[in-house]
Amino acid sequence: MATLPQLQSYLGRLAATLWNFGADFPVPTLDSYDAGEVGFSFAAHMPGSDAPKPTIIKIEEIWAPVAGEFERVEYEYDFVEGPLNRRRAFHRHHVDVFMRMFGVAVHEHCEERLKEPTCDHYYGFPTDAVEAIRHFTVQWGQPGPLGCDRLRCIG
Amino acid sequence: MQGKPFLTPADIAQELDISTTTVMRKIHAGEIPAIAVSQRIYRIPAASFEMYKSGRLRTAEPAPMGGRKPRPRLGEGESLPTAERAPLASQA
Repeated sequence: MATLPQLQSYLGRLAATLWNFGADFPVPTLDSYDAGEVGFSFAAHMPGSDAPKPTIIKIEEIWAPVAGEFERVEYEYDFVEGPLNRRRAFHRHHVDVFMRMFGVAVHEHCEERLKEPTCDHYYGFPTDAVEAIRHFTVQWGQPGPLGCDRLRCIG
Repeated sequence: MQGKPFLTPADIAQELDISTTTVMRKIHAGEIPAIAVSQRIYRIPAASFEMYKSGRLRTAEPAPMGGRKPRPRLGEGESLPTAERAPLASQA
C-alpha cells in the first residue's frame, strides 16, 4: 500500500536508478486512469550497442485505490536485450485468468532467443520494479544463458 | 578501459588512483552506481562511471503527476494459457 506522494517518490527513485546506469528516456509521470487508478509506464533505452536492436527495460504498474491509499494490482517489467537477442519479464495481469487456471497471480517470461519461447508462461514470485531492475541489470550484457530451463512452465 | 561496457571496482580504482576499498565504500554509499552481481561481485556500467566523473549523476526526485490518460492494457498482445485465449480479447 502506498500514498500518492510515496508513489511519486518510488517512481522518481526508479527513474534515477536507470538514468544513472546511462539509460535514456523522458521523465516519467504518475498518471491517473478511470476508476481512480493511477500508474506509470516508461521504456528505458539502455546504453551500449543498438545492433541489431537496442536493449530496453520497460516498466509499467497500475495501482488501485483502497481505503485512501493505493495497492499495486498489475505490473509488467520487461527486459528485451536486442544485442543478445533475448528477453526476460515479470508480469501480473489478467489475474483472474491465471488464478482460475493455475492458482497463481503472477507469471514470468523467459526467451533465450527472442520470440522463440520454449514456454509461453512460467511460474514466478511476486516482485516489484526495484527487484526487477536489479535482476535485469545483473543479466544485462552478460553472455551465457538466462536460465529459462530452470523455470517451471505454466503453459 | 576504453570500449568496455562494464568496469570492475579495480578498474575504477586504477582510473581514479584510489584503493579498491575506497571504491567499494563509494559504491556502498551510493556515490558510484553499481550492479551487485552477488554479495561480493560488483560491476559498474561505463556510462555510470562517465556520469560520476563528470558530476552528471542524478538524484531521485519525486516524479511529477501526469494528466488523465487511457489505462495501459497490460498483457495486450500476449497469448494467455490455451483455454483462456479467447477471453483475453474481451477483457482488454
